[in-house]
Amino acid sequence: MNIIVCIKQIMDPEIPTGKFKIDPEANRVIPSEGIPPVINPFDAQAIEVALRLKEANGANVTAITVGGQDVEDVVRYAISMGVDEGILVSDEAFKALNSFVTAFILSRAISRIGQYDLILCGRQAADRDAGHVGLMLGEMLNLPIITMAKAVTLSSDKFRVEHVITEGYQVYEVGMPALITISDEIGPPRRPSGWGVIAAAMGKEIPTWSAQDIGVNLSDVDIKSVRSETIRLFIPDSRRKGEVIQGNNVAEASANLMARLRADGII
Amino acid sequence: MVEFDAIIVGAGPAGCACAYTLAKQQLKVLLIERGKFAGSKNMWGGALYGPVLGDLSPEFLKEAPIERYVKRRILSLLSEESYFSLESAVNNESPDVPQDGAIILRAKFDRWFAEKARKAGAILANGVQVEDLLWKDGSIVGVKVGKDEIHGSVVVACDGVNSILAQKAGLKAELNPVGVKQGVKEVIKLPLETIEQRFNIQGNEGIAWEFLGKCTRGLPGGGFIYTNKDSLSVGVVVQLNALLENKVKANDLLEDFKRQPVVARLIDGGTLVEYSSHLIPTYGVSSTSRLFSDRFLITGDAAGLVLGTGLILEGANFAIASGIAAAKAIVRAKETGDFSAKALSHYQRLLEDNFVLKDFKTFKKMTHVLENPRLYSTYPDLVCSLWHKIHTNDGNPRKSVRQLLKEELKGRVSWWQLARDLIHMGGSL
Repeated sequence: MNIIVCIKQIMDPEIPTGKFKIDPEANRVIPSEGIPPVINPFDAQAIEVALRLKEANGANVTAITVGGQDVEDVVRYAISMGVDEGILVSDEAFKALNSFVTAFILSRAISRIGQYDLILCGRQAADRDAGHVGLMLGEMLNLPIITMAKAVTLSSDKFRVEHVITEGYQVYEVGMPALITISDEIGPPRRPSGWGVIAAAMGKEIPTWSAQDIGVNLSDVDIKSVRSETIRLFIPDSRRKGEVIQGNNVAEASANLMARLRADGII
Repeated sequence: MVEFDAIIVGAGPAGCACAYTLAKQQLKVLLIERGKFAGSKNMWGGALYGPVLGDLSPEFLKEAPIERYVKRRILSLLSEESYFSLESAVNNESPDVPQDGAIILRAKFDRWFAEKARKAGAILANGVQVEDLLWKDGSIVGVKVGKDEIHGSVVVACDGVNSILAQKAGLKAELNPVGVKQGVKEVIKLPLETIEQRFNIQGNEGIAWEFLGKCTRGLPGGGFIYTNKDSLSVGVVVQLNALLENKVKANDLLEDFKRQPVVARLIDGGTLVEYSSHLIPTYGVSSTSRLFSDRFLITGDAAGLVLGTGLILEGANFAIASGIAAAKAIVRAKETGDFSAKALSHYQRLLEDNFVLKDFKTFKKMTHVLENPRLYSTYPDLVCSLWHKIHTNDGNPRKSVRQLLKEELKGRVSWWQLARDLIHMGGSL
């Protein structure tokens, strides 16, 4: 069985909030200087599902990503978790990609891989939380899609998928090949073992495919058909004011506090 | 089974220097870093002194992510009412001379350095925590990471101040708060132009500003401000045992320090982007310290190679130098296939021959002088007050400096005590 997992890098959510900056003119996030991107945590969960399927049934798992050279570490991270192969699709032309174009590039790259039985995506990327790419990719590859899976198992030649609904789950069966997006209800993904990290660092070079390699010419893509556009990106103003209410003793300070709360119309 | 020539634990300045040197010599090197990336665990922001980085490659002095070069150096004594400063400056136009100090931010610097080691051929494993040494027949044969065993001919502990590996190897006891300082630091972001204006610097010029006195409430230690490119590193460093004995929290001292009028003005309007706390091993290295054993070496902070004399607080340069020396000893050991303590003792000899252990010897007495509590309250108050009075004209006839000094000393410290302290300090230099 061949499984392909689509992964994406996101800005490290653990950066101090003071370092998070956006360019409101260009409607984009400015990558934080000196802090490398990390794997989208939902995609790490998709890898977890692929590895469980591999352990249960045997499979070859390939992780694929679209991005600049700085995302190679994210592919290596996938390998350190236990993925067999990594592919980096990277090209100067691939800048400021939206969901549609990303899905399009992925569909071409996956077509180049050719042989696959299952494509897994995280439920969404934890930066923009759109959750579009998996669906668009399935559509472009003309595959059956099941979203928000909390469990995926193989029974004979079908996948049994538990699809999360508001209060519980539905069980689907789907034949091969299929595309499944993974819900975070799958639970925390495994952490790479020490050897996993070292072996990934020592591992062979990760193949990088250019636009030409996968036969993509972005000028051919009808960007208008994308129908998604960021109108305004901004950081909401949530400044909090602190003030120490003074008083010569506790009673006086409490009285002052009450007076102040009344004056401000809070009580 | 993969066996590395050297397993280096910790991708700080010592580990990166060691890994880079070994990789350049075609040795099979594994560089293990606990943080998500080299530098991610690092609090240190300050100056790297001396040309040691250039020993690795002359290019490094140009390529390294250096924020600014120390153009001016200020030491200020703080009292309740005023402060008194000594300032020195280098007059050359472009102060990019490493011996004056290059201000770096370790988060950026270490990542750059680790990348250099990786490009040179070292295997860099980020996000991996070494829990123990791997022993076989009483000899160290590698390290343990979770359930995984990783084998190497020699293990180099570059795992910082609280080196677990040095303890496991039996070369170090548990850290004693007496020989350790705690540093807390904030990185405060300000526009580049504001920094240039407030500190009267331009281009790549920078300032190293140290404070003694009120900012530590009289505890042995001091405050500091370093100018980065578009931020300031502001912090205090205090003797850990003094903090514990007096039940004072270092971050409260940092808040005090930031409220000092001179400091408050410099950081006004800035945004806090980082806060961190770290231990600094200033117990010093003596001739009896042993930094090697069979198939095992310790370097940098793990070895206690930080010089904290009050006038000087240096570690990164010693770390880099010790990493290089460890690598040289390992290359030699590899040639003969002998990784025994006897063969690796070459490492400590190299440190004794170069500036590292010589510097420690030179400043050995200094650490004792620094224990004098009068340095942190009485004398800063005295100097500030005296200087202020010399220059104050309240309309009354002025007193002689000698008279003023006499008045200032009264109730604070005796002439005899002052003379003794001065001789002591002079002697330690």
